[in-house]
Amino acid sequence: MIPWSSFVQKAQSLIDPANFNIPALSSPDHNPSKASLFRQQFRLPDSQNPLQEITADLVLPLPNSSANQGDGSRKVDRAGNTYTGRLHLSERFICFSTQPTSFIPSATASASTAWTGQTHGTGPSGNGFVLPLSCIRRVERLHSASHVFSLALTTWNGLLNKQQEPNLVPQRLILQLVGSRQACERFCDTLKKGLREGMKEVDNLRTVVTDCYSEYLLSGAKGKGQDGNEADTRQPPDAGLGLIFRYPGDARKLRDRSKMRLWGEYFRENGRNATLIRQPTFHKLIRVGLPNRLRGEIWELTSGSLFLRLQSPMLYQQTLAKFDGQESLAIDEIEKDLNRSLPEYPGFQSEEGIGRLRRVLTAYSWIDPEIGYCQAMNIVVAALLIYMSEAQAFFLLSALCDRLLPGYYSTTMYGTLLDQKVFESLVEKTMPVLWDHLTKSDVQLSVVSLPWFLSLYINSMPLVFAFRVLDVFFLEGPKVLFQVGLAILRVNGEELLETQDDGSFISVLKSYFSRLDESAHPRSENPKLRAITRFQELMVVAFKEFSGITHSTITETREKHKGAVLENIETFAKRTSIRNLGPESKRLSVDDLGTIYDRFYETLYQWEQRQRVIEEETRRQERKRSQRLSMLAPPADTQVGRVGLGPSPTHMDYEAFREFLAATSKWAVADSPGPSGKESSSGKSALWANRRQPADHEFMQRLYRKWATNPEEGLNLQNVVNGLARLKGSPDIMNNINYFFDLYDDSGNGQVDREGILKISEALLFLSRRGFEGTITATPSVENLNSTADRDHAENSLTTDEKFLGSVSAFIRRCFEYADPSHSENRKADQQDATAEATEKLDSFAIGDDDDEEVEEEDLIDVDDAKPASSPAPPDSTAQTAKSTTPEVSHDHNRSTSESANPALDPNNPLHITLPTFRMVVLADELLEQFFESYFPQSFHLSDHPHPAALAASSSMSSNLTTFSNLGSIRSSGLAAGAAPVAGASGGIVPPGKGLRGVLDNIVSDGIRMAAEVKKRMDEAQRDLERNALGREEDEDDEDDEDYPRRENTAAAIPGGIPSWGAGAYGADTERRSVVRDADRDLLEGAEVLGGGKEERNSLLDGKDDANHAPRKVVGSAASAKDGGSPTARDGEVISKLVEFDS
Amino acid sequence: MSEAASANAPKPSSSVKLVLLGEAAVGKSSLVLRFVNNDFQENKEPTIGAAFLTQKCSLPTRTIKFEIWDTAGQERFASLAPMYYRNAQAALVVYDVTKPSSLTKAKHWVAELQRQASPGIVIALVGNKLDLTNDGGDVSEAAGAAQGESESAQNGDEGAGDEDEVQDAVSGDARKVSTREATGYAEEEGLLFFETSAKTGTNVVDVFTAIANAIPESSLKTGRGTGAGTGQTSLGNRSAEDSRVNLGDRNAATAKEGCAC
Repeated sequence: MIPWSSFVQKAQSLIDPANFNIPALSSPDHNPSKASLFRQQFRLPDSQNPLQEITADLVLPLPNSSANQGDGSRKVDRAGNTYTGRLHLSERFICFSTQPTSFIPSATASASTAWTGQTHGTGPSGNGFVLPLSCIRRVERLHSASHVFSLALTTWNGLLNKQQEPNLVPQRLILQLVGSRQACERFCDTLKKGLREGMKEVDNLRTVVTDCYSEYLLSGAKGKGQDGNEADTRQPPDAGLGLIFRYPGDARKLRDRSKMRLWGEYFRENGRNATLIRQPTFHKLIRVGLPNRLRGEIWELTSGSLFLRLQSPMLYQQTLAKFDGQESLAIDEIEKDLNRSLPEYPGFQSEEGIGRLRRVLTAYSWIDPEIGYCQAMNIVVAALLIYMSEAQAFFLLSALCDRLLPGYYSTTMYGTLLDQKVFESLVEKTMPVLWDHLTKSDVQLSVVSLPWFLSLYINSMPLVFAFRVLDVFFLEGPKVLFQVGLAILRVNGEELLETQDDGSFISVLKSYFSRLDESAHPRSENPKLRAITRFQELMVVAFKEFSGITHSTITETREKHKGAVLENIETFAKRTSIRNLGPESKRLSVDDLGTIYDRFYETLYQWEQRQRVIEEETRRQERKRSQRLSMLAPPADTQVGRVGLGPSPTHMDYEAFREFLAATSKWAVADSPGPSGKESSSGKSALWANRRQPADHEFMQRLYRKWATNPEEGLNLQNVVNGLARLKGSPDIMNNINYFFDLYDDSGNGQVDREGILKISEALLFLSRRGFEGTITATPSVENLNSTADRDHAENSLTTDEKFLGSVSAFIRRCFEYADPSHSENRKADQQDATAEATEKLDSFAIGDDDDEEVEEEDLIDVDDAKPASSPAPPDSTAQTAKSTTPEVSHDHNRSTSESANPALDPNNPLHITLPTFRMVVLADELLEQFFESYFPQSFHLSDHPHPAALAASSSMSSNLTTFSNLGSIRSSGLAAGAAPVAGASGGIVPPGKGLRGVLDNIVSDGIRMAAEVKKRMDEAQRDLERNALGREEDEDDEDDEDYPRRENTAAAIPGGIPSWGAGAYGADTERRSVVRDADRDLLEGAEVLGGGKEERNSLLDGKDDANHAPRKVVGSAASAKDGGSPTARDGEVISKLVEFDS
Repeated sequence: MSEAASANAPKPSSSVKLVLLGEAAVGKSSLVLRFVNNDFQENKEPTIGAAFLTQKCSLPTRTIKFEIWDTAGQERFASLAPMYYRNAQAALVVYDVTKPSSLTKAKHWVAELQRQASPGIVIALVGNKLDLTNDGGDVSEAAGAAQGESESAQNGDEGAGDEDEVQDAVSGDARKVSTREATGYAEEEGLLFFETSAKTGTNVVDVFTAIANAIPESSLKTGRGTGAGTGQTSLGNRSAEDSRVNLGDRNAATAKEGCAC
């Protein structure tokens, strides 16, 4: 059992309360934070943090036995029990325990610490109390001899009832703080603050307490013979269905009445419900089994769910009201099981019981949608409802799911699986012979033990015994389940060693459970021994023989197996979800699907983590909101997003999709390390600076929209798989060409207009800017880039990339050459009339276009709207501006395209290409053909190639980057992505000494400029047209001049159309911004370090302090002993009152 | 322990591990309960993890002892399933003929088994709750024995999912999955196929007999030491029509409903 020894912790800490408003993030080493250990030990709500802690002696008045009632209390107030332990203070609670804490006192709240002490994070063991501050009615400072800093707490115990209880003595306990005066004062200050706040919650306390059966029991409403007769004035509080349908088991056999009396006595002496003080008897009383009517209340108290209820007493009713009439999957599942939850108990054959069960499960499914409803919860809740009210069961279920059985009922049930592994490994450790036997005969233990844990033995053992296990479980925590499980195997060890298969194994245990009430030693001579039931024997074995199984054993073992268990679950989830992807996915290999799956969830996971960090940071900023919004939501320091842990996000938005693409295709990795303009505003940059940055290109947006069934919602795995399956699934070039064409067929009418053609060419350049990885080779024989024979030789020395550039240029030219005019026949006839209309349409076109460049997001919408409108845009007016484009285009390639391009580039001459044209143009060029045949599909790397991210990290990356070499890579050094910013706007100025690469860079940037230029001209032409439509008389030359500044603007914006190339201006800008951020962060971190340092010093000081005071402490306790001798003398010693609350 | 009570000379006995899979509340446990105890409960507790039961099935040439693992159906329990179908030689994948989604789920299970379970596993696809349809008992490829006046469909096997049935009970037919669709799928995948009613007992024993017959002799181990309380059924291997469970009082046995222990 629990070691009663009490001792004083050597160190004492002065902890700055300011540090505790931050809920701890999960620390990388997965050790729980001090704050969470603190909460766990005292079963406090997640809003509580350890603020103060000090060594103290708890002096309890000697129980005033009922025999000597009458003449006031203090007379008998000889020194009762004195316990030495630690006193803890949180925002709303004061806790005392003789058990050493499981955390290092000097640790900061958020720091994770190794386990220390003996509680190992179990629940409220040892002697002491956990008092909500609202329970404290008055605190007095006693001025006793020899510098002992004593506080006397008077509680509301028993005073909240309307009816005055007869012979009630106000509960009063004395705390003697041991520590420097300073430390004591500080403690009192914090206490004072807390008490003031606590005062506001007295009404809550009253509400909560009235639901406790103990109040009713002690109120004397039932008189002495409380059992049986219901002839009374006051209605007893709801102590579960048992009050109506009888409690399971034979009350007499369970000695319910005498247990009740014992508890009554205990309550009178030590306080009840919220004001209960734990003394050794408390633990003993629980071990012998709780009386029916008090069972619910004690469960609530020991599990800490009482404090949850105290925090928001009406949450249950409010939740039900709020979601009244709504439906959910969980509710459907609950409905299925309502009729089959403990159906043998009469209460659950009635509408009353089923109604309660429905309401509790439903309310919980709303409050914790991540869990919703899991089979087995119905059984557990049904069991709870026999002993407690709906609201009590609701909060207890929450304590179960969050704290006692973490992950058990989650959608992946990883907690259950993990604990099975833990159990197996404990069996292996403690019963190696049995374990060997099981392994040899191929019996899978967890098959047997899983239901034990999942439904807390409730449907394994007869109910009466299962409840006995629960009594201890709620007090001591999950280790009890393991201890009992091990004991079951131990007790049946011999028989189990004879079994050969699952079947016989199970039946041995089944029959054991059915005979738990029989004597363990039926043939013994000793009648006492004969009276011991098998269940009692089981409990003894569990808690004596396996007393070594502590919470820390469990935690450590869990930690050891967690990785493997999660991996298993994830493998299963992966297998299942890949298999269920549907027919489309069959086009990809299983390996590919696996890769997609992994990458998809990896991206989402990281994305999620990132969001979390950001969220956390924002929360740090607004410290006031230290309490979590929903008190019942899972604690802040849990991991999220991992598939194995339960519900994880299933859809990726465009931002996450970019990340995904960047991990898939080289071309999707940004060239400049800074994130694109709009993103940097969200503050992610600093955190993610050293990752490869995904590019952001119009092409990617198109892909996203193409793949998503609902772009708002995002892409799910199915979308991504289908998308990739279409691209990579068939090695058919036609398919790929069609697909590409489709991407740009905005209107869906099988036509791609001028804008589209340019965008396609941009995309081609975008996709190819990192080289072709050898998938494309130009054969000299089919050299169609150059007509002149004498250049052949030179050409051959050119790289494929250069040639490809030529191909793209040729592509544009040919497209325009072969394009069809749009609707010319309708329009030509009636030019004048159409002008107004045209203006309107072009207006919208222009707007859409501008947005396209500057606000990419909007482009998603605008282009769709604007394009269809513009495609039938009519007539051919003048605008020779386009003429100047031609030399530009052909400039690098010594080709005269002016003739054909001239009319084609005239924006007033709408045209489009159709799929056959597109195909023809593509097939006309060897490189383009190869591009679509092999490079494009292959540029999506799935399982067939090493992960591009790995490539990017390695130095080989730079050699792969044929075109954009490490220009300015000094700046980006240290960036894993290694992608260098490219000076697109600087017009191909190459630093000296770059050799061939420099030349290539020039060529490429020329290409980019070309595309940009073409675009710019078009824009201008449109503007001209626009202006012409508005005011025709204006001089065109002037206009040109006027236009200049504007043009510059657009010029700046245009490279943004290929933002990843976007070099210069804003690339640098964002980078600067992110640098600032980094600095900010550093500052922040500096502050943290400072803070930590300070604390360190503090605690050091403390330690010294404590050492100084150690002797004093001895004096103190001596004094207290002396004090105890003359209690009456102390009465008058109340000199200074700290706080007095006599509301 | 209990040696074949049929008067025959002792036949070779072997045990077969059989696992039941399928969506929640399609009647997996009820099928087993019908087979093992010839019993039916309206409100059967949901299976937590899995339940284990045994039943013998006597064929002319041998006796098969089924070790039946009845698994939990709720979606989130799916990740526990590999634990149970490990080494299984036979599987019953159950769906509810009144609930199309349950067939989809069944298909997923079939795929899972085909890839992950032991090779050569005998899989039977079973559409349960036939009592809720018009054709009550008289469909079914394998055993056409019209079982029944079960048209008066009042309730699901497991007393669940009655929303649909309430409406359809008027017309008397809650069937949502056609026999043709399921047969087609079963043939495609090479599965045994049955439509059953655990409530009325239609075809239940036939499923198990068919499985027993389909288990290749080679994969049968001789019976492992038993000890589990077993109910027993002697099955004539005559034509399917008259194969009836001979559930004497002998099968009172310990193999009862529910939890795995």
